Order: sequence, then C-alpha cells, then structure tokens
Amino acid sequence: MRDHLELFLNGRKVRVSGTDAFRTAANWLREVRGATGTKTVCEEGDCGACTVLVGTPRDGRLDYVPVNSCIQMLFQLDGIHVVSVEGLQLGSELSDVQRSMVDHHGAQCGYCTPGFVVAMTALRESGAAVTGREAREALTGNLCRCTGYDPIIEAALDMTGGHGRSLDELYPPGPIAEALARASDGVRIDANGRTFFAPHTLRDALAFLAANPGAVIVQGGTDFGVQCNKRGLRPSVMMTLAHLDGLDGIAIENGALVVGGRATLAALEKFTETRVPALHGILQLFGSPQIRNAGTLAGNVANASPIADTLPFLFVCEAELELESVRGKRAVGINAFYKGYKQLDKAPDEMITKVRVPLPGEAETVRLYKVSKRRDLDISTFTAAIRMTVAGGRMSGVKIAYGGVAPVVLRLPRTEALLEGAGATEALFREAGDVARGEIAPISDVRGSKEFRSLLAANVLMKFFHEEIAGARVAPGTGAR
Amino acid sequence: MYVGKNVPHDSARGHVTGESVYVDDIPHLANELQVGYWWSPVARGRIRALDLAAAAMIPGVVALYTFEDIEGGNIFGPIFQDEPLLAPGEVSYIGQPVVVIAAETREAVDAARKAIVADIERLTPILTIDDAVAAQSFIGTRRTISRGNAEAAIAAAPHVVEGVFRSGGQDQFYLESQAAIAMPDEHGAITVHSSTQNPTEVQDVIAHVLGLSQSEVVVVAKRMGGGFGGKECQATHPATIAALVAQKTRRPARIAFTKDEDMIVTGHRHPFQNRYRVGFDDSGHILGMQVDFYSDGGAFADLSTAIMARAMCHAENAYYIHDIEINGTVCRTNSAPNTAMRGFGGPQGVATMENMVEEIAVTLGRDPFEIRRLNCYGTTDRNVTPYGAVVENNTLPRIFDELVASSDYVRRRDEVLRFNRESKTRLRGIALTPVKFGISFNTTFLNQANALVNIYRDGSVQVSTGATEMGQGVNTKIAQLVADELGVELSAVRLMITSTEKNNNTSATAASTGSDINGAAAIDACRRLRARLADCAARLLVEGEADPSPSPESIVVREGVVFDSRRPAKTMTFGDLAHAAHRHRVSLGERGYYATPLIHWDIEKFSGRPFLYYTIGAAVSEVEIDRFTGMMRVLRSDLLMDIGRSINPGIDRGQITGAFVQGMGWCTTEELRYADDGELLTHSPTTYKIPNIQDLPEIFSVAWIDNDTNTANVKGSKAVGEPPLLLGISVWAAAKQALLSVAAGRGVPLGLPATIEEIAVQLATIESV
Repeated sequence: MRDHLELFLNGRKVRVSGTDAFRTAANWLREVRGATGTKTVCEEGDCGACTVLVGTPRDGRLDYVPVNSCIQMLFQLDGIHVVSVEGLQLGSELSDVQRSMVDHHGAQCGYCTPGFVVAMTALRESGAAVTGREAREALTGNLCRCTGYDPIIEAALDMTGGHGRSLDELYPPGPIAEALARASDGVRIDANGRTFFAPHTLRDALAFLAANPGAVIVQGGTDFGVQCNKRGLRPSVMMTLAHLDGLDGIAIENGALVVGGRATLAALEKFTETRVPALHGILQLFGSPQIRNAGTLAGNVANASPIADTLPFLFVCEAELELESVRGKRAVGINAFYKGYKQLDKAPDEMITKVRVPLPGEAETVRLYKVSKRRDLDISTFTAAIRMTVAGGRMSGVKIAYGGVAPVVLRLPRTEALLEGAGATEALFREAGDVARGEIAPISDVRGSKEFRSLLAANVLMKFFHEEIAGARVAPGTGAR
Repeated sequence: MYVGKNVPHDSARGHVTGESVYVDDIPHLANELQVGYWWSPVARGRIRALDLAAAAMIPGVVALYTFEDIEGGNIFGPIFQDEPLLAPGEVSYIGQPVVVIAAETREAVDAARKAIVADIERLTPILTIDDAVAAQSFIGTRRTISRGNAEAAIAAAPHVVEGVFRSGGQDQFYLESQAAIAMPDEHGAITVHSSTQNPTEVQDVIAHVLGLSQSEVVVVAKRMGGGFGGKECQATHPATIAALVAQKTRRPARIAFTKDEDMIVTGHRHPFQNRYRVGFDDSGHILGMQVDFYSDGGAFADLSTAIMARAMCHAENAYYIHDIEINGTVCRTNSAPNTAMRGFGGPQGVATMENMVEEIAVTLGRDPFEIRRLNCYGTTDRNVTPYGAVVENNTLPRIFDELVASSDYVRRRDEVLRFNRESKTRLRGIALTPVKFGISFNTTFLNQANALVNIYRDGSVQVSTGATEMGQGVNTKIAQLVADELGVELSAVRLMITSTEKNNNTSATAASTGSDINGAAAIDACRRLRARLADCAARLLVEGEADPSPSPESIVVREGVVFDSRRPAKTMTFGDLAHAAHRHRVSLGERGYYATPLIHWDIEKFSGRPFLYYTIGAAVSEVEIDRFTGMMRVLRSDLLMDIGRSINPGIDRGQITGAFVQGMGWCTTEELRYADDGELLTHSPTTYKIPNIQDLPEIFSVAWIDNDTNTANVKGSKAVGEPPLLLGISVWAAAKQALLSVAAGRGVPLGLPATIEEIAVQLATIESV
C-alpha cells in the first residue's frame, strides 16, 4: 500500500505526502507549488476561476476534463495528470486558445481568464468546430464580470493562431499513463490525525467502512469541498472510490437505467442524451461541466438535499438504491430512503453501489422542472417531476414529486389521486394546484419566499397542462429547456 | 499610428498564461503575517466588553488590535470624516471591523476570530429607507436641482402619474476580492501593495491612521482583478488594517478577503427608493416632473453624497423637461457603507425616469418609444439640462432614429404583441431605453491628473500615471496615445506599475475618466519631450547638409523613424535620437499635467457645467418570460452608442458588452437579500447570481456611430466605462412591457431587479384582478 500520492502536474511527476494531501488542489497549486495562475474566488465551485484539467489514464490514453480545483481535495487526484493554466504554452508560444483570447479581447481584468482558458482548452480538445451554443455550454461553469462574455464566445469560435498542439501532443500520454498505471495500487495516508484511503476493490472499501463507520466517501466531492471550505467540515477519515474497479458503469437493463455508484453526472448526461431525454434535459442544467465531471448520481442521492436536481425524477420513476456493506446487499426504494432533512435509511457502514431507475414507457409523459433565479449554474428554488399517461383525454399512472418545498423531496399523493383516472381539464389542474399547495410545507430562504414556492407548486401543474396537454402554441425555435 | 487601432490589452498575454501577478499572488515574504479581523455580528449595538484572552492564546496568533491601539486618527472618510477604521465601542453594521488579528497562518487568524468573545448590547437597527426617514437619520443635507415651477406645471397638466420606484443594491463582484500587503520601510515609513482604484486615497488614510506624513507612505497598485467602483474607497480598509499591523509588528502583513468576507464587510451599489410625480399632455409631452430620491447610504458617508449628486444629474436622462424639481436625500442606516459602483447613482436616476416613461405610455395607451422620442433633448433648442448645462453635439435623436430602424423595432413590437395574444405559456416584451451619461467627476477638483514619461537612451519609453488598471484597458489606450505622440512603435512603450511615489495626489480611476485625464496628462508630457527632441533632431539631421539651418517644425517622427520632411531620405531611429539627445544633455523625462477645462459646479446650488461632455447611447432589448415560473430570457439586444472616435475599438467594444451585461444583472438576477437582523444572506456566487454566459442575449449586436465632434476630449474620444451599464435597463423595461401587455391597461409596479419571484408575483397579481 502506497503512503503518498503520485500524480503528474503539467507533465512532471509529483509525489505528495503528509498533510498536503488533504489540501484542496487549488490551495496546493497556489501555496505549495507557487502556481498562482490558478485563482480561487468563491471556493465553492460556482465561478470556475480555479478550473484545471484532470487527465485520467484509460487504456494508455489520458482523458482530460475540466474540474473546479477549489473543491477537489488533492487526494482525489492521485493517479491523475493535472494540467493548470501554466501548462498550456509551448515554450513562449501561446496555445490556440490563449492566442484567440488575446486577439478577441477575451481577457479584461484577467482574474477569471485562466479558468476560461482551461475550460476552453477542454472544448478545443474535442476537435470539432465549435458552435456558439457549444461554447456557451462548455463555459457555463465560468463567471466573468468584465467582458459580458461576448468577446470570450468570439474567442471560442476562433481557436486558432497559436502553437496548434493538442494536449496529447504537448504531453504524450503513453509515458504518463504508464507511470500512473504502475502506481495505481491502494493508497492510504495518515497525517496529523487524519486518514485518507483509496481502496482497490469493493471488498476493501466495505471492510474499511465497517472498520471506520464515521468515514466520509469523497468521490465527486462537489458538496464536500464546499462544506470543508465554508462550513468548517473536517472529517478525520475519508475514502475515495477513484481506484476501484467497477461501479462506474451505466447501462439499460430490463427497462431500467442502472447507474454505478461512482459514475459521473457527465457520463450519465452523455448516456441519457438519446436514451432518456427527460433526464438529460435536467442534467444539462445541473451545476456546470466542471461539477458534472466530478459529481456522481449516487453522491447527489446520498447528499440528500431537498433541492437536489436529480431527485424528483428518481422519485416519480420509483428508483431503487442498492446498498452494500460487509453484511451484504439490500435494495431501498428512493421514496422511502429519506427519513427527514439529511436523514437517510442507510447504515454508516453501507454505501450506494447502484442506482436502478425503471424507465417510463413510451406512451408516458415525464416532465422535469427546475426553477432557479438564474437558469444555469444555480441551486434550485423549486424542482418538480410530473409523470402520467394521457389517453383519450384521461390521465393514469399519475406520479408527482416536488423538491424545495419541504425538508425532503415529496411525492404528492393527494394531488396524484385527484388527477388519477380523471379527464384532463384546465379547471381540474387548477384544483390540483390548490391540493398541491396543501401537501407541501415550504419555507422562506435566500432562494425564494414560501409564498413564491407555494405559487410555483400550483403554477407548475398549469404549466404541465398547457404545454403537455392543451398543446399551447409555441413559436418555433424558442423551446424552453 | 496606433490610436483607433484594435491592439490587444497590454496584459492579455500574462492573463491567458496565468503569469499576471495580483496582490495575493505575490510570493509570501519571510516573516510575513496573515491578517484578518473580527467584525461586528450585530447591525447596531454597544460593546460592553470584549474578551480577547482566548484568542491571544491560540498558537500562531501574534497580535490583536482594537481602536485603542491606533496611534493616529481612527476616523476618516473621503467627503465627510465620519467612519472609524475600528469600531470605538459602538458598532453600526454587521461586518464592521472591531478587532484586527495578526497571526502566522490564515488558519490561526480564523481560529482567533472564533475565539473572540464580546458582550454587545443590541440596539434597534435602522435597516430600511423607510426606517431612516421615520428616524430622520440622514447623511449630509437634502439637495435640490430645480428649474421652472414643477409644482404648478404638474397641477396644470391633463394627466399625472405618481408612485414610488425602488431599485435594489448590487455587489460589484470583482473576481479578485480585496487584498493588500504592507511592508515596513526604514524609519517608520511603509509601502503597501493594494488592489485599489485609488492609491492616493489609500495613502492618505494610512498616513492619517498611522500618524505618518503622506510622504512616508507609498502605495503601489499594479492591477486589480476587477474594481467596478468597489475599490474606489473601500480598498482603504483592508490596506490600512494591514499597514497598522506592519507598523506595530515591523513585519510584512498580508490581508486577502474571501469572497464571502468581501461581500459581507464592503458596501454595494446604493438601493434607492424614489417618489415621483409627473404631469403630461395627451400627446405624451412631459410638462412637469418632481422626484424625491432617497438612497440607503449605509452606516457611514463614504461617497454617498457624491453618488446622490450624480443620480440627481441623471434624473431626467435623455429628456428635456422644463419644469422640474429633483430632491436627493441620503439615509444613514445600519448596513455596510454603500459605495461606488459603475454608474455611480446614474443608473438609479435613469431607471426611475424610464419607469415614469413606461407609466406615461400605459396611461395614454401608446408605444413608450413615442414618448421617448417626443421628449428627447433637442439639438439646437430644448437642450439645457435642469442644472443649467447645454447638451452639446447632441446625438440622441440620431441614435434613436438609427436604432429604431436597425433593430426593426416597430415590426418586432407588433409581433411581440401578437405573440402575447396567442401564447398561453409565454410572454414577450420589447423596449428601447436611452442613456445620456455625463463625463467628468461631479466634484470639479477631482478632474486633474499627472503623468511621468521617461525615454531611455535606446528609445524605449516608460509611462507612469495615476490611472489604475482593472481590466478596462486604460494602460493600453495610454500606450497608444504616447506611441503616436512621440512617434515611436507601440512595442517601445511600457506602462509601469501605478505608485504614489511617481504620481502624487491622483484622483481615483473612476467616473469613466481614466483614459481621458491620464491620457491627456501623458500627451502633455509627450508634447514637451517631442519639442525638445525635434530641436535636437533638427540640428543632427542638418549636419553635413548644404542648407545647415535646422528646422524643428520639419521634423517628423513616425513609428520610431525620424527625418526632416525637407529631406525624407535621410533618417535616424528614435533610439539613435534619444541616445544623441542624452549626449547633448537634453532631458529625456517629463511630467505632464491635465486639468479638465470648461467645467464648474456650484456645490450649494447644484448648478453649473459639471461634465465636459456626454456619452450617449440606446438599446433595444426583447425578452421572453415563462408565465408560470417567471423565468426570463433575453432573446435579443441591439446597442447603438456614440463614443466619439474610439482609441481602441476592441477594448471599447468589451467595455460596452461587459457594462451592458452588468447592468442587465442589476436589473434581473442580482439580488442582495438580508435577514431580519440586517445580516447579508447572499454573499457568494451560490446565492448571489451575476449573469452567466448562458444569460447573454441570444442575439447581441453592438455598434457605434461615427462622430468626430467631441473635440473637447483626448483625440475626440469619449469615455465608455460606465454609460453602457445603463442600457441594461432596456431589459428591465422589456420585462415591464411584457407584463403590461396582459394587464389590460392597468399599471404594473415592477420593482428592480425583476427577479423570477418578482415577475411571477406580479403575474399572479395581474391574473387575480
């Protein structure tokens, strides 16, 4: 078992031991490595100024994706090639992205610029010509206060004129992947009263959890990092699943979407694009590319936020969670999983190994709604999923789940019962809105007043009625997402 | 020639490689202390006891200071001196510094902060403008701009609308939070690296608080990761706190706010609550207007009265209103002292006016554009502002007409109205709003600048001014001006770090004037250098010629090549000339100075010509609203501006797009929410939502007209930093139009920002009628 981290930074192998492993990656870059091009602004994954590329070895290649280094613990990056803004040049020659950003005035004050340059590099690596829409999608996780983004989009549409090298040309992946592959046995670091463990097998992981019931699983870490930076969370025992074989699969089995415990939201987004469009739509609005590249569906479930964006869908699909421990496996329905605010039907030694989502039939309508102050990269004020079959004007199989209206995501049994079997009329949906308002217990907080949430609880039913049933006329090309 | 060319920002290369250094990127110095402070957790109270014993015992904690440790003056302020650096017993807002903590590590600072115990008697805070008015809690006195007889004109008008318009605060949200590093110098002097728009202000306050002369304090400001007004006065507090620690401990001291700290402890754009009455005739002519502006100044004066003055000078925006009365009162409340933010009161004044125009249009059942065009300032008459200044070279009518045509406003408005009749799920709105923004500091004496231009013997040039670079490209523009003025290549000109030791008594880089006044000062220096060098070149270039009479006026210097226009074949390089000039004992350094001409302002009567000129523009925005959730998208925005002759079109375009989107944020998603006790709840980007790349209008067009009439300003250019921010109001007005289209002729009291909640609630109200 290795007692230190091994990773690559901008093509050079680095060994990290002791307490440095427990720093955030951004802090380590700035304070230990003196690589101050990476900026920390919000320390909560909401601005992207700290964006770095993480290259994961896969079959002798390195797959690079952008992540927020301010909420990645360095120990999560064991076995990874980290490329920071300083690693994009070739000698004194700027990369295509850098040159384009200079030419199009994509940088003003420069503080967000490294994050944008890194995120744009990931976009450029895809190789295809970039559209304005793709540029916006790829840069959703980066805030700029100076440019109004327009010059940055122009830069993204013209990523030429620099040294023209791809990351694989700058950093031939073979030797790096090989060096990292050799290092990928289990890792355990004990320093200053804190322990980090990266098991190689599920068995080791479960045994570790059994021996350390207080251990926190840090896989995506997208909320964990925020809690550490902002709320003083400082657990003494942590485990990642990064080196585990398996648990990263996504498949459709017997009509159900089956998502492994460490599959990222980005992988799920890609998988569902054609297979489960309703879920894909909401995943596109989930956080940002940086967040989705790190975060997992199981993490979103286990984090138990009442405004977790994936939960209403899982609720109306009556998803099942597979929990494993040294004591064995069991399945829990998601509708019974949450016992109260952040209270789960999960023992300390159990972990979520699979999320199984029986998919709705083709005749069924499923719509997911996310209401937030800002459409993209915002935490929801209110979320909803509405599922039903409408045939001959009658509704059946009605399932409705709301988030952001109670300490946990709620199913709305009385509203469902009102609609079940009934004819779909505007008057009935209006009545359903009143019933729905009676089934929820919203509070006022920074994201909206309880009155607003109560209004949304009714309005979202009217929205469903008008958009999905009454078929209100919609002008072409303006479909809201 | 470089002026007018789209050359890249002079820091762009460093920005894209991560090489650019900001304050907190400066490597940690040996022996350096980390600094933070414990701030008041209550909005208003009296500190009965402060127990620092536990904090002092924390390993790594080096020193704790309260107001009693200050050797100079604790009270300071840019206009009124009313603000303590460290609270002396009474606390006036949540976030007010009380105890300075210096420690070996940031972790120790945080631990000490948690260990400080205070017994504070809580007093009832004043948290709203209404509370302040009830308590008669004000900063400064109520001011008035008045012309004609507004009261009588309104009384005689066929129609009158009145109401109260509220606009919310806005965080500057520069990406680089406030930061400073103070280093003790010999003999008690001090050098401070500060992320500030106003090094002189930082120098003044440090000297005052530390009991030093101004000459003993050097403030250095290399660049900021954004400022937007937030570092005009309030970079002072962290810098002075670091300086205090450096003075006391004789060790370097670093302070760097987290984003949360920054948003909690610093002030924001002022919320305004404005009562208005406006009288008009059947055609929509505005006959008389009365407005009472009330701003939330926060706990201390800061720049609040100057901000109110600018709000009042923009109360009529683009419209000629003969009989008008504008009153302005700044309220003293228990929130963090509100301060400068891009627009500096202008947006709050203009939004109020544009809301009135919308209400006039509803009352008359007219397209609000017709009201705007009808009341627009004239070019030869109807062109005097309420404070007595003439709107010279007025391009407003031209911009109105060209933009209406280029944006296809009339047809699109019909389409929007049709869409709203047909769609049960969505609403659209379209609006055109203008801006006429006065350029110059309202306070006349601030309109001055100096510049230092040094030519080296190889012909390369260093330029230092009081302008601070925060991304706006002021250094690039000055380099272009200097290169052309001296006749050297742009690559020969280097803009140097801003420091009070090279440029003294400077004004803040603010009020959009950075390039205007500092550029003009640099040109002044260049002209004198050029004259001396032309003399020298004239003599050198006639050596050995048949006609030996030197002719300085025939000397041409262009992109580094020097020749006598009578004999252009014989040339020398600028480097050779500089070298020879040094040999001939000609000084190669010069200090330039500029004081903006023609301006004057009567601070008592609130009349005069405060602005050298106006930057003008208009925008048409179209929005789409989800009728059920209130969520809004901007479908298209078309901007047309008069920015004179652009010094750098690429930089100016970026200023316009950036300012517009920032203004749009103020009008839509940016909302400062407070708890009942005055605690700010939205202090990071998780909860405070500035526009995201996805919020950019789907079609976004930016253009400017050709206009070379602005001869009063440097190279015929016009300032561009702030004015386009006010065009974001077009998005708000479009949202209001969308709501009005289903309100059956009734008014819709849409507040600003028009958040999804505000829009959804307004829609619900409309439907319930």
